[in-house]
Amino acid sequence: MSNLTIGGSTLDASWFLGLAAILFVLGTVGVLVRRNPLVILISIELMLNAGNLALVTFSRQLQNYEGQLFALMSMTVAAAEAVVGLAILVDIFRTRDAEDIDDLSELRG
Amino acid sequence: MAVAVFFVFAALAIVGGIGVISFHQPIRSVLSLVVVMISLSVLFLLLSAQFVFAVQIIVYAGAVMVLFLFVIALLGPARELGRGRLRFQAWLSGVFVLVLFGLMYALLQGVQYRQPEKADLSIFGSVQWIAVYLFTNYLYPFELTSILLLVAAIGAIYLSRKRTGIDDL
Repeated sequence: MSNLTIGGSTLDASWFLGLAAILFVLGTVGVLVRRNPLVILISIELMLNAGNLALVTFSRQLQNYEGQLFALMSMTVAAAEAVVGLAILVDIFRTRDAEDIDDLSELRG
Repeated sequence: MAVAVFFVFAALAIVGGIGVISFHQPIRSVLSLVVVMISLSVLFLLLSAQFVFAVQIIVYAGAVMVLFLFVIALLGPARELGRGRLRFQAWLSGVFVLVLFGLMYALLQGVQYRQPEKADLSIFGSVQWIAVYLFTNYLYPFELTSILLLVAAIGAIYLSRKRTGIDDL
């Protein structure tokens, strides 16, 4: 059921899903361990990409259109979120030089 | 042949992913993420998603990553010193993500997939095929994402405006 016939050879859909899981887990490690806010945002983008890979894999496996369309929507939302997140970061860096995410845990400007 | 392509670009994606979280300079993390995105777009092409492959390169690698690079150029190099408040934070995170990976693996074990629909694989993932569904079934999400992008652009412009004194903060 999870065999995909691509270009004459047979691939297994679970390889793609395993790769998506590994990338998602790597992104999670980045979010948890790194202290620079910019690198945390980059790791979030990595997690979103892993989700998109899983969506497109399922779309190909079930031969349905919804996975690819959902991936397109997810890309749009990720772009909007990156824009707003970076704007907030630029604004914070204007007044103080935040190298550590724990310095930003107070609401005071 | 397709198997070889998959393994090459999967390995490249994993190496890029490790690079994203390991480099100390953010510029190298961004460039590693560009590597990940390009290898993922090749994998999308392998999965018969031609339009998603093109959009991934144009939008993600070409616009979002360039935005990140501009912000890094604006903010300058970062020095990531200091420890977190939690001792052994790296080890705890490692344990946590291993548990997370194990959970994902366990959840994917007993999955029963439904029967695939017999789609025409010659047009699967093509622009016309996506366009048919995007403008009929998915018209509402399409219009709503355009509004979302407008709101995000307005928000970014407002957040990065020049402050005119203490009342404007």
